[in-house]
Amino acid sequence: MRNPPLRCTDFAMFCALTVLLTTQAVSASESERTVPDPSAKPAGTLETVLQTHCVKCHSAGQNPEGDIALSEINARNVADDLDQLQSLIDVLDLEEMPPEDETQLPTETRRKLLAELKATLRGAVAHTRQYPRTPIRRMNRFQYNNAVVDLFDLNCTVFTLPERMLREHRGYFQPASGKMPDEVFVGSRPLGKSQMIEPRLAGVAAFPQDLRAEHGYDNQADHLSLSPLLMESFLKLGQSITESPDFVPANVGIWDSFFAAPMPESDLESIVRERLKSFLTRAFRRSVDQSQLDRYSQYVLQNLEEGVAFPVAMRAVAAATISSPRFLYLYDSADESSSVTPVDDYELASRLSFFLWGSIPDQILLEIAAKKRLHENDVLNEQFERMIRDRKLKRFCDSFPSQWLQLERIISSVPSPEEFPDFYFLKYRDSMHMMLEPLLLFETVLIENQPITQLIDSDFTYRSDLLEDAYGDLAIQHDRNGRGVQVIRFRRLPIEDRRGGGVITNAAVMTMTSGPERTQPITRGAWLAGVVFNNPPEPPPADVPALEEKPAEGEEHLTLRERLSMHRKRSDCKGCHEQIDPLGFALENFNPVGVWRDQYENGRDVDMAGTLFRKHRFENVIEFKDALLVEKDRFTEALAGHLLSFALARPLSAADRVALDEITAKVASDEYKIHTLLRQVVLSEPFQTKSFPQIASNPRP
Amino acid sequence: MIRTSRRRFLRGLGGASLALPWMPSIAIAAQADHVPMRMAHFYVPIGVVRRGFFPGEANDVIPKGNLGNVMKSLGKQSPFASDEPLVQLTPTLEPLESLKHKVNLITGMDRTFQQGTDVHAQCASCYLSSAVPYTVQGTAWPLDRTLDHLVADVIGTETPFATLEFSCNSHRDNKESIYFDNISWYGTGHLAPSIRDPRKMYHRLFSTQEIDRYRDITDLVLEDARDLKMHLGYEDRHKFAEYFDSIRTIETQMDRLEQMKSQLSRVQLDEPPEAYLPRGEYIRLMGDLMVVALQTGLTNVATFMVGPERWDTPFKFESLFDEPRSHHQMSHNQTKMIDDLLKVDRFHVEQYVYLMEKMDSIEQADGSTLLDNTLFTYGSGLGDGSTHQYNDLPIVVAGGGDRVASGRHINMSEGTPLANLWLTQARLLGVPMQRFADSTGMIDGLMAERL
Repeated sequence: MRNPPLRCTDFAMFCALTVLLTTQAVSASESERTVPDPSAKPAGTLETVLQTHCVKCHSAGQNPEGDIALSEINARNVADDLDQLQSLIDVLDLEEMPPEDETQLPTETRRKLLAELKATLRGAVAHTRQYPRTPIRRMNRFQYNNAVVDLFDLNCTVFTLPERMLREHRGYFQPASGKMPDEVFVGSRPLGKSQMIEPRLAGVAAFPQDLRAEHGYDNQADHLSLSPLLMESFLKLGQSITESPDFVPANVGIWDSFFAAPMPESDLESIVRERLKSFLTRAFRRSVDQSQLDRYSQYVLQNLEEGVAFPVAMRAVAAATISSPRFLYLYDSADESSSVTPVDDYELASRLSFFLWGSIPDQILLEIAAKKRLHENDVLNEQFERMIRDRKLKRFCDSFPSQWLQLERIISSVPSPEEFPDFYFLKYRDSMHMMLEPLLLFETVLIENQPITQLIDSDFTYRSDLLEDAYGDLAIQHDRNGRGVQVIRFRRLPIEDRRGGGVITNAAVMTMTSGPERTQPITRGAWLAGVVFNNPPEPPPADVPALEEKPAEGEEHLTLRERLSMHRKRSDCKGCHEQIDPLGFALENFNPVGVWRDQYENGRDVDMAGTLFRKHRFENVIEFKDALLVEKDRFTEALAGHLLSFALARPLSAADRVALDEITAKVASDEYKIHTLLRQVVLSEPFQTKSFPQIASNPRP
Repeated sequence: MIRTSRRRFLRGLGGASLALPWMPSIAIAAQADHVPMRMAHFYVPIGVVRRGFFPGEANDVIPKGNLGNVMKSLGKQSPFASDEPLVQLTPTLEPLESLKHKVNLITGMDRTFQQGTDVHAQCASCYLSSAVPYTVQGTAWPLDRTLDHLVADVIGTETPFATLEFSCNSHRDNKESIYFDNISWYGTGHLAPSIRDPRKMYHRLFSTQEIDRYRDITDLVLEDARDLKMHLGYEDRHKFAEYFDSIRTIETQMDRLEQMKSQLSRVQLDEPPEAYLPRGEYIRLMGDLMVVALQTGLTNVATFMVGPERWDTPFKFESLFDEPRSHHQMSHNQTKMIDDLLKVDRFHVEQYVYLMEKMDSIEQADGSTLLDNTLFTYGSGLGDGSTHQYNDLPIVVAGGGDRVASGRHINMSEGTPLANLWLTQARLLGVPMQRFADSTGMIDGLMAERL
């Protein structure tokens, strides 16, 4: 992933604007690809390459292109700024620079220079081993809900969360089986009928949803802060949860072991202390010290002395516990001695459980942590295997894939009802079904430990009858029609026509990256660059005018690519667009609701041909998928980056790249299996260590 | 963002009137020109039987079964604007007779349903929403900060509670989602939850018990926070200060509310019983609590749902039927149950009138009544429970004193957004707002003078 220097634009605006950006006709320049210039100096040093190819535009002084100044960079100081070094590696590696119409680097020079720069980066990281710190942060709404459910072992939810997109009906999600059923019953939570209705605690009101960070996740530490208003919510929540009319023995798994009054004549003090010790350990995910235990016990005993009934006193202390910062906050305890240390066993337990279960560690993890054994390789592996087969893995599936794919964007997609009347049925939209397809694919790959390449080009998919009908030509079994809105049946179908399948060419993604009346190739390209290659483009300049949804007068006969290129005026747009445009136009055969088309409405043929990373020529979408698969290591590294960022609740830095390289190599050598990917993320050094930089935390300028 | 304005209440108390409920004679000395304006909304779920409610529709066809996809009136309404004295009341509105001169019947108000949710799901939840349909990203609901909060941002800054949310939903099951039981939202995805239990509301308004328990808890958790802080690195310690700041702010709020409680203890209102109350008594008790909160200055803005949207579980309407009945199911069976449904509609109007009468009997410092200083609106998010239409909604606006031209039947021209009414109300209450949701203008007929 590219480190985002100087990025401040909000994503929504970015999307709105990218669409409007225009680009030079890529096809025109394809034939003029520069061949290595025989007169160029062979195997240039960093300085000569920079001087020859870069400083013309990227020179210190006034207005260097992209605000990148390279005139003072040399082999000795290039590692001073790791993020800039990483950017250099990225643009060379992805052949993003020099721009297409400038003199190109000889292939051999590029290769050698890349190898040198990567070695420099690796050396610098090995020397400092300095990763960005994840700041202390409160739980987000999703984690809070799960943590409360697990702490009290509730058999219902605390509040209903629309952010869980894929609603499970009839218990299809059984990771222990290693197999996804051929037929599953599901619902769309944000768009389906009555999906927000489920057993929950009456009288408990949720606090607002925490939003996804730009190019990141809703658990990202810098987004999770506390306000007096939210604090009041937490205090109220503590009470409304434990006092809900549904907070009764039948719903609360720990009732007998915690809330129930002990036998008469028992030693109340020792019972209270014993119960609190285990409860607080689970709530706070650490060993509880004497003074804490004294305070909490005292609180209960005092209540009891005042005549409060035992279960009532225990409810009160439980309410206090879940308002405590030790429950609400996720943090690493500081180690004064050195700047980078392994996390302790309790911290490792929390990292694991919040990553894979979106919640607090269970009793087993805590017991192993108490014995200080969790960090041992075989123990950790065994626990990982256990966790990934636990039904709580559904929480990972309810938070990671939808955010990785940015699927929340489909909720707001409203294709023109005049042009796409079939998108609407009853009171609903087809997107209700669409959004479930890529999520079911992800869950299946995960449960069945399939290769992650299935996410690009799968040989199966799950579809409802309505979805099959909506796909038209791309339907696998034709003449299906059904209009489920509540409990929807999705069936596993083999993909033989490779135009379909995978997380890219499905109707949900094609629809959410389109406008109401036309596709938005630049939006699609930006989505692909960010999601599939974890290399989101910079937001466009704010002063770029809009391209109308409808063609202007006199432009009706043009293709979208021609219209965009006509509107393109600015040379400073080129650097990015040479990268994202081939990705976006590659998907032009999918119309704004994901239906296949060979021609535009004006009768012109769809022109989708292009070249991926200036290397892999493609003429149709299957060749495009082949090109993506040739670059599957890049995809692996990208997905590893997304997962690591999600697991650590922070954006990644250049230092993390070394770990991503290692993860990628190990996943590639194990047939790209997704469990291996997750396991390697867990075993990686950034996951296993914590950093406390002495001065400023981020090496970023 | 919501402001819990207990803090500001104290400032408001200095010299403001605190007339005690049911004892209008002991109004504390106050300046006559300081009577605040209030706003209250009385929400009726699942629409009404059009024949009984709307003038001129008495002989229209009765909808048969569930006409969920019709979404418009079966009968014909006048598409043209008109403004006439309110003379003859329709059967459902007859209970208004004695207060006819203080109300306006407003017909022809429309909303836009945003395709993508169940048809009932937006009825109540988006009734007061300030969002233009199809503009809120990431949600199927056109839902943003609701009128009550936008108004409270201006007229609710001096009261302990900026707004209060009441729901007369006595169902014990959690059958429906939050979208069916709430009309008040701080913002997109941020519910201002309604209170259904009169005891809970009573405690919120008049009891110091809850405050004491918060204090117990804050003592305990603050100690945790202090020792957690010792284990944090420098930067984390800095960020973690937010926890202390938050707790401290809440404690200050608690102190201030507590000071005010001693004055409120003079309110003569018994704590509601835990026992089951027949439906009418339950609604009136919740209503009494709302009126007393408006009267004492605990809040200037309240929303009141007389029942939840949809929710098929039957209610006992003690005064109406022997057996429990589901309002929603009746609405889908108008050909068979129209007489019973008419009884329910009239029952809801009676409750509205009960509260109006109560408010009209409370004298303010300047001699006007509480009703005269409140915009108190009856309305439903559906025009009919069978057709599920979002247009031609049943609306009655009461109160407002001499700011409002009352005693009229105002018919708006076809396609007038309900948002025009909300904009007009906001402006009548002194909120400097140019536009509300998809509003296209004001309802001039409602205003005594043009604003």
